[in-house]
Amino acid sequence: MTTLEEYETIDLFSNWDQKTQPIITIDNLKKWFPVSQQSVLFSRVVANIKAVDGVNLFLNKGETLGLVGESGCGKSTTARVIVKLEKPTEGSIYFKGIDIFQPMSREEELAVKRQLQMVFQDPYSSLNPRRMVLDLIKEPFDIHYPDMLYEEKESRVLEILAKVGLEDYHALRYPHEFSGGQRQRLGIARALAIHPEVILLDEPVSALDVSVQAQILNLLHDLQKDFDLTFMFIAHDLSVIKHVSDRVAVMYLGKIMEMCPTGELFRKTAHPYSVSLLSAIPRPDPRIKMDRIILEGDVPSAINPPTGCPFHPRCYKAQEICSKVTPQLEELEPNHYVSCHFPEI
Amino acid sequence: MAQNKKILDARNIYTYFYTESGVVEALDGVSFDVNYGEPVGIVGESGCGKTVTAHSTLRILPKNGKTVAGDIIYKGVNLLDLPDLQMRRIRGKEIAMIFQDPMTSLNPIFKVSDQMTEVIALHRKCNKKEALEIAIETLDQVGISEAEKRITDYPHQFSGGMRQRILIARALALQPSLLIADEPTTALDVTIQAQVLEIIKEMQKKLGLAMMLITHNLGVVAETTKRVHIFYGGRVVESGPTEEIFLDPKHPYTYALFESIPSLEKDKTRLETIPGNVPRLINPPKGCRFHPRCKYATEICSRVRPPEFKFGKGRRVACHHFEELDLHIDMESIRESKAIKEEA
Ligand SMILES: Nc1ncnc2c1ncn2[C@@H]1O[C@H](COP(=O)(O)OP(=O)(O)OP(=O)(O)O)[C@@H](O)[C@H]1O
Ligand SMILES: Nc1ncnc2c1ncn2[C@@H]1O[C@H](COP(=O)(O)OP(=O)(O)O)[C@@H](O)[C@H]1O
Ligand code: SF4
Ligand code: SF4
Ligand SMILES: [Mg+2]
Ligand SMILES: [Mg+2]
Repeated sequence: MTTLEEYETIDLFSNWDQKTQPIITIDNLKKWFPVSQQSVLFSRVVANIKAVDGVNLFLNKGETLGLVGESGCGKSTTARVIVKLEKPTEGSIYFKGIDIFQPMSREEELAVKRQLQMVFQDPYSSLNPRRMVLDLIKEPFDIHYPDMLYEEKESRVLEILAKVGLEDYHALRYPHEFSGGQRQRLGIARALAIHPEVILLDEPVSALDVSVQAQILNLLHDLQKDFDLTFMFIAHDLSVIKHVSDRVAVMYLGKIMEMCPTGELFRKTAHPYSVSLLSAIPRPDPRIKMDRIILEGDVPSAINPPTGCPFHPRCYKAQEICSKVTPQLEELEPNHYVSCHFPEI
Repeated sequence: MAQNKKILDARNIYTYFYTESGVVEALDGVSFDVNYGEPVGIVGESGCGKTVTAHSTLRILPKNGKTVAGDIIYKGVNLLDLPDLQMRRIRGKEIAMIFQDPMTSLNPIFKVSDQMTEVIALHRKCNKKEALEIAIETLDQVGISEAEKRITDYPHQFSGGMRQRILIARALALQPSLLIADEPTTALDVTIQAQVLEIIKEMQKKLGLAMMLITHNLGVVAETTKRVHIFYGGRVVESGPTEEIFLDPKHPYTYALFESIPSLEKDKTRLETIPGNVPRLINPPKGCRFHPRCKYATEICSRVRPPEFKFGKGRRVACHHFEELDLHIDMESIRESKAIKEEA
């Protein structure tokens, strides 16, 4: 069988130097959703939901970057913009050195999309229930490789099913015939089918039972090695994040608070929000008795995020400057990025 | 004497659901108990029968569900024998419940005050004005600031964490002896979960409440309860003091479950996994319900329901091979190897 690479007709990324450049760089990304007031005659925008509000981060080839934060902080939106399901309000995303939102031909557009795939949180709703598994997983080939022979597509589907631990006969079944864990395997197979470089995993195990979660985490671990994949792994469970990630980015109200190698996040926690988040996790060991930092109040609304540092109304270290000046994400130590006026390091 | 310690003693409960595709054997001989003033955990993965246990206890099963056998002794009285009218007095006043989904258990079209004062007036036999005072006081206790102002708001004007506090306040205002909390923090973010758990723990201690905390989150159980019942496939597979079970689980399922969760104490490696899926309870596996996934299973496991072994300080394990297996998690060595690594 020909390799998928041989189907590539254009070479967009020849200028990318994978030794020195991240595979994805996100520069001041904003994604605001307008809230409009409807009346008979007109509708006008009265506010914006600032789902993503100035995100800076990067992914290195072959690594897993964990993106962690509480619900509504903008994790999914960030991922959806990266795979071009949404357009940014402001800022840029570079994939292998190319600004993916610059005007480009349809061919170039497909070449980019081919390499960036996403696995969605809810394995129940992200697969069309009326389509057979064979067709569901064949679809990416139909879109990206219309000239490929049917037989080849079919054998590629079976190959990928085997890779995610499913059997040939599963190809002729429908999504509702699968368990939650198996459906998540289908979602992964679909994303993996056309051999992308980067997979954005949006809470891929949050809906699964704990005993099944471990199977999927191990599967992802193996696939990453086999296919030389780069992962952005979104989760709200820090134990899962710690387990899967090489580096972690902590997000709060549309911004990155801290980004560093995983071990450092736990050993050298720098941002007061990260400190509070770590302290809030219930530990499954009855002997651990800790002095917990209980944060006051709720996560503020993304419509009117606090001025200055978005964490200041709940922060145990906040000073006057925090409500006035927005701290920038800075590299305080090599590879340890923090946006805080009074970091713990 | 030992008998008197128990506020709730459920023995051999069988609860079935009759559906088009067959009989769901949701609870298949479940026994568990809760002592006066004690926080007890009910732990298990989804579909293992935790919620059905709570609903069976309160007798609030849907029409197609029925507890067909067993005894549920509350303060010496078998709830399953009580006439409906008396059972209604038990609910809320004696045994209060906080439900899994905080969004649906408050009615969106009524003010919080209306949803609290009515039940309070009914169960505490007081007038509306006194009921309102009690409501404000309990809201204040669970940390709703400016409770006297906010009580006239509607549920949607509160965040998820605050709604869960309102439900806790509503339950506690009736001064129950037993609180059943079904996944009270599952829908909440970790920082909010920490707030709500803190309040639950504090109120439990202060009021000397007996509590059944239902959850699949092992961290939440470890921090909140003294004793725990581990459920699998509609049965209790292991029970005992929380600390002992967490440090030294004896049932192959409990053991495998603990090994398979990623934890902050472990490093990035492959996890131990349990093959297969949680069982469906229409035509569940024969014998031990865990046998298709158990690496120690032998022929007898697929045929005969395992007996229950009792040992130590109130520990119970339902496994044929309990005695030979002698499972043991070596927490000390995990801790030590970690300490060494960190020094390096
Ligand atoms: N009304 C019903 N009709 C049919 N089957 C039911 C009904 N309610 C529950 N069941 C079944 O009973 C079993 C136990 O369900 P239960 O809701 O107690 O699980 P649980 O342990 O609370 O799970 P979760 O963690 O998902 O809340 C499941 O197999 C479920 O599908
Ligand atoms: N299509 C949309 N229209 C309006 N608001 C949206 C849309 N998508 C997301 N949001 C809002 O943006 C914020 C961030 O959402 P999301 O990225 O889904 O958060 P997360 O994945 O971190 O939980 C939330 O307040 C959410 O309600
Ligand atoms: S900038 Fe100020 S408010 Fe924000 S996290 Fe740092 S100390 Fe806290
Ligand atoms: S009874 Fe058999 S199958 Fe069940 S847990 Fe024990 S060894 Fe495993
Ligand atoms: Mg999301
Ligand atoms: Mg439940």
